[in-house]
Amino acid sequence: MLEVAPIWQPHIQQQNYRLLLEAMSRPGSLHSITGLNTSSNSLLAVLAALLDSSVRFCDSNGLLEASDIALLQAMQTVPEEADYLLCSGIDVPDFQPRLGSLVSPEQSATLLVHVSALEAGDLQLGLTGPGIKEKQVCNIQGLDSDWLVKRESWVCGFPLGVDLILLDQQQLMALPRTTRVEVH
Amino acid sequence: MNEEHFGFLDEYAKKEVRRATLKAVAIPGYQVPYSSREMPMGRGFGTGGLQLTLALIGRGETLKVIDQGSDDSVNAVNLRSFIEMTCPGIHTTCRTEQADLIQSRHRIPEKPLREDQLLVLQVPYPDALVVVEASEEKRKLLHGEADYSRLLVKLYEDIVKFDEITISHRYPTRINGHFVIDPSPIPRWDVPRLHQSPALILLGAGREKKIYAVPPYTQAVPLAFEDVPFRVENFSDEQGQRRSCVRCGCNSSFLDEYVDSATGEQVYRCSDSDWCNQQLEQRQGVDQAVEVVNG
Repeated sequence: MLEVAPIWQPHIQQQNYRLLLEAMSRPGSLHSITGLNTSSNSLLAVLAALLDSSVRFCDSNGLLEASDIALLQAMQTVPEEADYLLCSGIDVPDFQPRLGSLVSPEQSATLLVHVSALEAGDLQLGLTGPGIKEKQVCNIQGLDSDWLVKRESWVCGFPLGVDLILLDQQQLMALPRTTRVEVH
Repeated sequence: MNEEHFGFLDEYAKKEVRRATLKAVAIPGYQVPYSSREMPMGRGFGTGGLQLTLALIGRGETLKVIDQGSDDSVNAVNLRSFIEMTCPGIHTTCRTEQADLIQSRHRIPEKPLREDQLLVLQVPYPDALVVVEASEEKRKLLHGEADYSRLLVKLYEDIVKFDEITISHRYPTRINGHFVIDPSPIPRWDVPRLHQSPALILLGAGREKKIYAVPPYTQAVPLAFEDVPFRVENFSDEQGQRRSCVRCGCNSSFLDEYVDSATGEQVYRCSDSDWCNQQLEQRQGVDQAVEVVNG
C-alpha cells in the first residue's frame, strides 16, 4: 500500500490545526508541530494543514520544492494577492500583503514566517493584547527587526491587518493583528 | 478504506471551517463568513456549532454537549449521538471538568472553564445590529467602523419606555473595544463569563453561515450606560432572599422557573444539570459524613 507521509493524513492535520488555533488564541505561546519526519519539514506541515485548492498561496522567498508546492494544491500567485504567504525572517518584505477591507477584514493575508529559532534568540519581544493574560515574553532568532516595523504599518488600522505565524524547524508561534509588540 | 470518514465533513469542508476560525480568533468578534455545508439535520438545529465541533475534534478527545444547561435534552442528545457515530475514538462526558470540548446551546457552564478547554456556542442570529439595520451590506460597514450609535439609541429607548434595558438574552457585547457581537441566546447571567475567559470561545451560526470568536483573556463588555449599568438576572424572592435550587439547594447558580404540577407552586431549579448533580452529590456526601460522625 502507498505510504502517505504523516503531514498529509487528516488526523495529523487536525492536530496541527489545533496547535495553530491554540497559537492564534494565545499569541507568543510555543507549540511543537506534529507529524514531522525526514521527508516533511515544519513549513510544509503547517501549510498542509491549512491550504487546499480554494486559496491562493505565494512562496515569496522560494523556501519550498516545486514538487511540494504542487501537493498543496493551492493556486499560486504574487505576494500582493496571496491569502497565505511563506516568507523568510531574514528577508525584509518588499511587498504589500492583502490587509482586507473594512467590511471584510478576513480577506487579508496570513504570513508564515520562517525563522531559525523560536525558543532562544537575540530578538526579545514583549507581547500584550487579546489572548494574553498580562504579558508574554518571547525570544526569536532569525527575524529581521524591520519585519516588526513593516508589521506595525500593516496592523495599525484595526480591523484591517495581517496575521503572522512564525515557524522554526520544530515549533510555531502566532502574532495575530491584535497583538501589541514591544521590542526589548 | 471502508470505514466511514472521520468527522462526517470532507477534509475540504473542515479546512474551510478551520481557516475561518483562525481569522475569527485573529479578528475578535468579527463574523467570518463561511460556506456552511448541508448537514443531516435542519439548519437552525445547531449545525453551526456542529460543523465547528467536527472540524475541531480529534481522536482521544472528550466532548460534552449541552442544551440550555442540560446534557439530556433533545438537541444535546441528538447532536452528541451524531458526533459519537461519526467520530470514532472520541469520548463523551456530562462532567464539565472532564471535557476538552464543550458544545452548548444557550448556556455557559456554571463551573468556570479552564485554559485547556474550548467552548463552542450554537448561534441562531449572529448579528447584534439586525434589530436596527435590515441590510447586511450596511451592517458590515457599521461593524467595520465600530459604529454602534443606533444600537445604543435602541437601548436608550428601552430605558425611556420601561426604565430598563429589556434584553433578556442575546445581550449585545463589545469584544476587544471594537466589534459588538450577539453572544448567542445565553442569559445575561452568562455574559460576564465571556470577559477575560481562560478558555477560547467559538460561536457558529450554520443557517447564517458565520463563525466568530471571543479569544481567551479578551475584553468582553456588555453595552450599557454610565448611569444605567449592566445587570444580571435577579433571583431574589419578595423578601429579598436569594432563591435556591429546590433539588440541590444551590443559591449561587442560574435558576430555571417551573410550576409544580401537583401543588401549582413556583419552584426553581439549577439550569446547569451537571452543576446541580455535583452540588447534590457534595451535599449528600456531607450528609453521609455527618451521619457517620453522629453514629
